[in-house]
Amino acid sequence: MKRTYLLIILSLASAVMSYTISGQKVVQVRDKYVLLTTPYNHRPLTLYRGQIQVSAGYKFAVRAQSFNSEGELIHLKDYGTGSVYHYYFGELRYGVTDFMEIGAVTNFLRRGIRDASVTIVNVTTTASERITVNKLTESKGLGDFFLYGALRMPLEYRWFDFSIKGGIFIPSARYEPQKPANTVRALSLASETTTTINLHYKNKNGYGVPVLLAAAAAKFTYDDFSVEAEWSMRDPVKEGQSIRWEETLTEKVFNYYDRSYTYLLSRTFTFDAALHYQATGWFNLSLNGSWFKTKGGWTEYWGNRYENPEKRLINLEPGFELQISPGLTVYQVAGFPVSGKDSDAPFYLYTTVCFNMFPLRK
Amino acid sequence: MKKTVIICLLSTLVAENYGQSEKLLVPSDLKQQTVVTEPVTLRKGYFRAGLLLDYRVADRFFNDSGEKEYYESSSFGSKAAYGITFQYGITDRFQIEVISEYLNKLQEKQNTEVDSYSNSSTVTVTKQKGLGLGDSHIALKYQLVPEVERTFSLLGRLKVTMPTGEKNPKNIKSENQFDLPVGDGTFAVSLNLSARKIVYPYSFSGYAGYTYNFRGTKVFDTGTQDEKQFRFGNLFETGLNANLHLNEWIVFGNEINFYSEGEGEIDDINLEPPPASLAFSYEPSLIFQVHRFRLGESVRIPLLGKNVPADPLFVLMAQYVF
Repeated sequence: MKRTYLLIILSLASAVMSYTISGQKVVQVRDKYVLLTTPYNHRPLTLYRGQIQVSAGYKFAVRAQSFNSEGELIHLKDYGTGSVYHYYFGELRYGVTDFMEIGAVTNFLRRGIRDASVTIVNVTTTASERITVNKLTESKGLGDFFLYGALRMPLEYRWFDFSIKGGIFIPSARYEPQKPANTVRALSLASETTTTINLHYKNKNGYGVPVLLAAAAAKFTYDDFSVEAEWSMRDPVKEGQSIRWEETLTEKVFNYYDRSYTYLLSRTFTFDAALHYQATGWFNLSLNGSWFKTKGGWTEYWGNRYENPEKRLINLEPGFELQISPGLTVYQVAGFPVSGKDSDAPFYLYTTVCFNMFPLRK
Repeated sequence: MKKTVIICLLSTLVAENYGQSEKLLVPSDLKQQTVVTEPVTLRKGYFRAGLLLDYRVADRFFNDSGEKEYYESSSFGSKAAYGITFQYGITDRFQIEVISEYLNKLQEKQNTEVDSYSNSSTVTVTKQKGLGLGDSHIALKYQLVPEVERTFSLLGRLKVTMPTGEKNPKNIKSENQFDLPVGDGTFAVSLNLSARKIVYPYSFSGYAGYTYNFRGTKVFDTGTQDEKQFRFGNLFETGLNANLHLNEWIVFGNEINFYSEGEGEIDDINLEPPPASLAFSYEPSLIFQVHRFRLGESVRIPLLGKNVPADPLFVLMAQYVF
């Protein structure tokens, strides 16, 4: 009888103990609000299953300097050839599973690059003529659609993650340049003639050929600090063909004709390494180092193929991520060029608004 | 005895519950209100200091026909203004504000002139800078319909602009080499009426104002360096504003603004007077309220216009209520 009592007491005690112990465990709540508010240092590299993310971004860049082929910094504004660059971007991502996502990205850009103005003076004993030539090369338009898929390690994220990504830029953009809109203005005053020729070339956006992208990323977290690194490569699938506009000027009227040419885009490599600090659950600070390089490729001029110059650029990008509400996050990054070769070196401010949702999850 | 103890305990419990249901608003809480919830003027005795930075690069402009154009010749211009503001609540309905700014203007041009006869070329580089204290303003704000106990207010504002900035080009070395002026060189008075309605978490407001510019004198031609009488055109401005609380401390602001400025006058037939201009723009903003500290950023995007810059204006703002 005593044994029976002892067994009952032990069973009850163990049941109570086990309940108490299991009650102390952190229960893994996976409702959508927990997932939506997961801070950066606890987040995997891809989206959660069923998560949809819609992002819209705007990059404003001031191209006041560039690096020449020797890697020296050139202050473009001193030559009056500085310009600004507006880049808009939209992205849609979907988490197919907790370890796989798909996405689509496109962009719109607008910029105008001015060349140094030249004035030709022709003075004779009876008359003088001044011809000023200004040249503006505008680039404007919707870019190619980039479709991709990404896979990450099939494990719950704790302190390490690794992902791979592959995608293709579909040549959906109207990449061929439009007919230039050059103008001539002439003013005659007695024996003095002043003529201003404004050359206005209108380039579009887009590669013109399919371009493949392969990327790999890794992320480590230690307490409130995380390090994320990503390497990517873009490679054109084939040679492309486009047109180049040329013009003749007769009696203040421009006649345009286009010539086709072939090209092979350069292979592009990028490497980003960022240190993140999770200041609070809703605020993350980061410092990213970005390296960019192009290699290979050629462009045809007058029937000859000329190798594309190799470009290189290193940027430092301090930034932050701010969670405004469970569904809404704002990212902002400022970019400062550090060194480079044959490349523009703009300062930029990049703001992205991200909207996250789980339409099918409670 | 037992009854007494029970009554005491019950009274304490009731008092505790009652005490927990009331939200006490102390002055420090009132100083932490956001742009949506705060009154349109500062409360009596409150003092707020602020810093403003606005930055614009000259790349495109709206021409006389209202079309957007790039500046065609090789030139680069930028303007950064570092503003400082002090606001003080004289009464709960009456506020005074002092605004001034430090300007950093830059204008660089280059032109290569080729002489076809001698086949020689001359490169002319024009680098103009304007650094210094700009014009200052004093503004008085009065709640014509006070916001106390209601969510609607009507506000009147009188602003006087004083030409504290250097109005003339300085350090003139040649027609193209000089320091840019950082002031307009004229007094101005503006009257503004604005109405606001709070429907938490939103606030909606509309405003209209008129600025009268007085006559002044200024050097327009760096060749002659003579001061000429001039007057800028008067300015009419109106706009609508809708702010939304994204959470308890972040506000998403939206403003559309329209202004029209009349043609100016210069008492010299050889000089072109400032043309009439107008602009219609949209300004989204994010304003963060962290206790008494307020941080905001916005972009003014010109959508339509005539004879005005077409480039976005970036604004950063920081304020603190003492």
